[in-house]
Amino acid sequence: MSKDKIKRSLRYSLIRPISNEKWQPISIPLVAILISFIAAAIVILLIGKNPLQAFYNLLQGAGILPKASYAGYKSMLTDFLSLLNAMTPLVFASLAVAVAFRAGLFNIGVSGQMLVSGFLATIIVGYSGLDAIVAKPLVLLIGIVAGGLMGGLVGWLKYKFNINEVVSTIMLNYIAQYVISFFIQMYYIDPVSRQSQYVSEAARLTLVNVEIGNLKMDIPLGFILAILTAVLIKFIMDKTVVGFELKAVGSNRKAAKYAGINVGRNTVLAMVISGGLAGLAGVTYYLGYFASIQPKVLSSIGFDSIAVSLLGNSHPIGVIFSSFLVSTIEQGSTYMSSQAGIRQEISSVIVGLILLFSACGVYMKYKVSRLKEKEANRKESEA
Amino acid sequence: MSDYIVEMKHITKRFPGIVANDNVSIGIKKGEIFALLGENGAGKSTLMSMLGGMYEPDEGEIYIRGEKVKISSPNHAAKLNIGMVHQHFKLVSDYTVTQNIILGVEPIKKLAGLFPYVDIRNANCKIEELSKNFGLEVDPTKKIADLTVSMQQRVEILKVLYREAEILIFDEPTAVLTPQEIEFLLNIIESLRDSGKTIILITHKLEEIKKVADRCAVLNKGKLVDMLDVKKTSVNHMARLMVGREVSFEAEKAPAQFKEEVLKVEHLTVQNEDGFEVVKDVSFTIRSGEIFAIAGVADNGQVEIADAIAGLTKVSSGNILLGGKDITNETIRNRTEAGISYIPEDRQSYGLVLDFDLSTNLALKQYYREPFSDKGILNKEEFEQFGTKMIDKYDIRSGQGIKTQVRSMSGGNQQKAIIAREIELQSPLMIFVQPTRGVDIGAIENIHNMIIRERDLGKAILLISLELDEIMNVADTIGVIYNGQLQKIASRESLTTNEVGEYMMGAKHE
Repeated sequence: MSKDKIKRSLRYSLIRPISNEKWQPISIPLVAILISFIAAAIVILLIGKNPLQAFYNLLQGAGILPKASYAGYKSMLTDFLSLLNAMTPLVFASLAVAVAFRAGLFNIGVSGQMLVSGFLATIIVGYSGLDAIVAKPLVLLIGIVAGGLMGGLVGWLKYKFNINEVVSTIMLNYIAQYVISFFIQMYYIDPVSRQSQYVSEAARLTLVNVEIGNLKMDIPLGFILAILTAVLIKFIMDKTVVGFELKAVGSNRKAAKYAGINVGRNTVLAMVISGGLAGLAGVTYYLGYFASIQPKVLSSIGFDSIAVSLLGNSHPIGVIFSSFLVSTIEQGSTYMSSQAGIRQEISSVIVGLILLFSACGVYMKYKVSRLKEKEANRKESEA
Repeated sequence: MSDYIVEMKHITKRFPGIVANDNVSIGIKKGEIFALLGENGAGKSTLMSMLGGMYEPDEGEIYIRGEKVKISSPNHAAKLNIGMVHQHFKLVSDYTVTQNIILGVEPIKKLAGLFPYVDIRNANCKIEELSKNFGLEVDPTKKIADLTVSMQQRVEILKVLYREAEILIFDEPTAVLTPQEIEFLLNIIESLRDSGKTIILITHKLEEIKKVADRCAVLNKGKLVDMLDVKKTSVNHMARLMVGREVSFEAEKAPAQFKEEVLKVEHLTVQNEDGFEVVKDVSFTIRSGEIFAIAGVADNGQVEIADAIAGLTKVSSGNILLGGKDITNETIRNRTEAGISYIPEDRQSYGLVLDFDLSTNLALKQYYREPFSDKGILNKEEFEQFGTKMIDKYDIRSGQGIKTQVRSMSGGNQQKAIIAREIELQSPLMIFVQPTRGVDIGAIENIHNMIIRERDLGKAILLISLELDEIMNVADTIGVIYNGQLQKIASRESLTTNEVGEYMMGAKHE
C-alpha cells in the first residue's frame, strides 16, 4: 500500500512541472526535448560512449560553446554564423507549415515550392551578372512570387475542385523535382560537381568568406529577414483582420462561412502566404546556404519543417526556437563525430527522437490532466 | 442495506470556475423511472457522467446494489450493468448497426480452432432478437449513415442493452426527435421499466417527466432542490422548483403592429446537393413588427429557406428582396450588412467557432469593421469591452468570463451568446431557426421574450421551429410547410393548433 503511494506521489511530482495549463505550450515541448535527450543519452551509452561528452561536442560544433582549438581564420563566432546560415531556410519553411496549419491546411509541398523558387531565382538572377544591390532583392522577390504562385495553385485546386492539399502538394513535389532536374541536366549542369552551375556572388543571400579582423566568416543576410518575418507573421495572425479570418477558417469552415468570411479566398490566401514563405526558404537555401542545386533531390528541410513547426506549436516565435534547436544538433554533428568518435548519424537519431516526442505533445497534455484529476480525487478521499 | 439500486451520497464535483454538483444525494429504486430535472448547466449530466464512469466525484460516495464502488471508466460502469444513452450519438457512421453494437465486445470465434474472427452472423441474429424483444426494430445489417436520427437512437439503446445493462441512463433523449418519435421513445422507456430495468432520465422537458417518470429529483445550480413523487406534483410546481421562480408558459405580448414590408420572397426554389428540389416555389412577405413563423415537420425544407435568405445555400430560381433591394445573388457578408441577423439551427458547427473565446465569438460578425478593427488591425480592447458588456446585458454565464473557450460553455449559454451577437447587429430582419432547441424552460421564456421585444422594436422576424407550441405562442403570422411547399399562410388568430397540425402532415390543402 505505502509502496503504491510512493509510486503515485513520485508520478505526480514528475508531472507537476507541466501541470499548469497556462504554461503548457512552452513546458510540454521542453519536456519532450528533455525526454528525447535522455533517450539519446541511452542510445549513446549503448554504443559505449559518454553522452555528456557528445552533447558538449555538439554544442561546440554548433558554435555555442568554444572548441579547444580553431583553424586559421576560424573562431566560435564563425561556427555560430554557419549555424544561423543553416537555420535560416528552416525557419522560413517551418513558418510556411505553421501558417497553413493555422488555416486548417497541411502544406506537405514546402520542398517542391522551395525547389521551384530556388531554381527560378537561380536561372533568372543567379546567372545574370546583375549587381548585388539589384540582384539580392530580386532573388527574394522571385522567391516570394514563385513560391506564392505555386502555393496559390494548391489553394485554388482545393477551393475550385476540392482536391485535398496533401495529395496535390505531394504530386507537385514530384513534378517540380523531375521537371527541374531535366532543365538542370540539359542546360545548367556543372560537369565536375554534377550539380547546377554556381550562382554569382552578387545573387547570393549569404556573404561568403567575409574578412573581418582576422576571421573569415559567412554572413547570412536572410537570417535577419527570417526573424523579422516571424514577427510579422505573428502580428498578422494575432492582430489583423486577415489573420482573424485565416484562423476562423482553420478552426471551423462552416462557422466562418456563416460569419460572412469568404472561405475559398482565404484558403487560397493561406496557401499563397505559406508558399511565399516556402519560396523564401528556397532562395535562402539554394542561393544562400548553397549556391547550386542538386538535380533529382528534394531538400529534407521541407519535411523536417513539419515536425519543427509542430515542436514550436505552430507559433511563429516558437518556430524560431525549435528551428534553432534542430539546426544546432545537425550543425554540431560533424564536430561531435570527429571528437567523440560517435557517428554523425547519431545526431539524426537525436533530431528524430525530439520530433517523435514533440509529436506526442497532445498525448502528454491528456495524460497530465488525467493524472491531475486522479491525484486530486485521491487527496480528497484521503482527507 | 436499503432498497436502492443506485445511491449517490454527498456528491460534489468542481470544474474550473464552477461547482457543477454541490453535495448532492440521491437514491434510485430498482425498476423505476427516475427523472433528473434541471436547467442547462444545473449539473444533471455531470452527475450522471460520474455514474457512467466519465468523471470521478471530488467528494462523496457511490453505492451500486448496496456496495460502495469507484467507477473509474465507462468500461467499469458497463461491468456494473450501467449503460448510458448519450445525447450526441457515439456511432461509427460507416459501420453497420451490428458492427456498432458489438464494437469493443466482439464475439470472437476461431476458424478451425486457430484463426480468430468476429462472428458477425451470430451477432446479427442476436441483435435482431434483442431488437424484437424490446420493440426497437431496426435492420442490423444497415449502415448507420443510412438511418434516420431516431433509428440511430435505437441503435444507441440496443448498444447498452446488448451489454446487459440493468441501469439505463438517458441523457436528453428527446432533444433531437419529432413529436411522434418522442411518443414512441417514451413508450419504449416504459416497457423497459416494465421488463425490470431501472431507468434514469435526464431532461428539462416537464411533459415527458409527467408522462413516464415515477420519481424526480430537481437540480438547480448544482444543488439538489427537491425529490418529488411525480404523480402527486403539478407541472407548474416542478417548473418553479427547477427555475427557482414562477414561470409562465404563455408568452405575453401586445397586439402586433405591422408596418412597411421588409422581406419579400418570390417563387423561391432551392435544390439540395443531389439536385433534388427541397424548397418549391415558396412566396411570402414579412413586415416590420411581424413575427412570421414557419411550422412543419423536420426536413420539409424550412431550414433551406432560412439558409437561402441568409446566403448559405444557392437559390436555383426565384427572388429574395430585402427592403425592396434584390439580394438573391449577394454574398453572405453583404446580406449581413444589408440587414440580416441569423440564429442558425446548428449552433455548434455554424453559429460558433468553438475553439475561440467568448469575446471573439461575440464579435464574429463585426470584427472587420470599426470600432472592432481599423484599417485591417484588430482592436482587442474593443473586443473585450464589447464582450464584457454583452455578458452583462444578456446574462451569459461562463467559467472564465470573456476568456472562456466557447466549447466549454453549456448549450443554453452558447445560444445566449449567439442571440446576443445577432441582436446587437440591429438588423431589420432577424431569422431564428429552432432558437430554443436543447434550451431549458427558464431560458426558453427568456428567448421568447427577446424575440417579442425585437418585434416590438420594429424588426421583421422569421421564426422557424419544430415545436408547434412555440409557434402558436409567439407567431403573428403562420406559414405551414410540407414537402418544400407552403401549404397555408394565415394569421395566428385564424388558425387552431389542430389545423396547423393537419397542414403539417400534408393532409389539408388550400
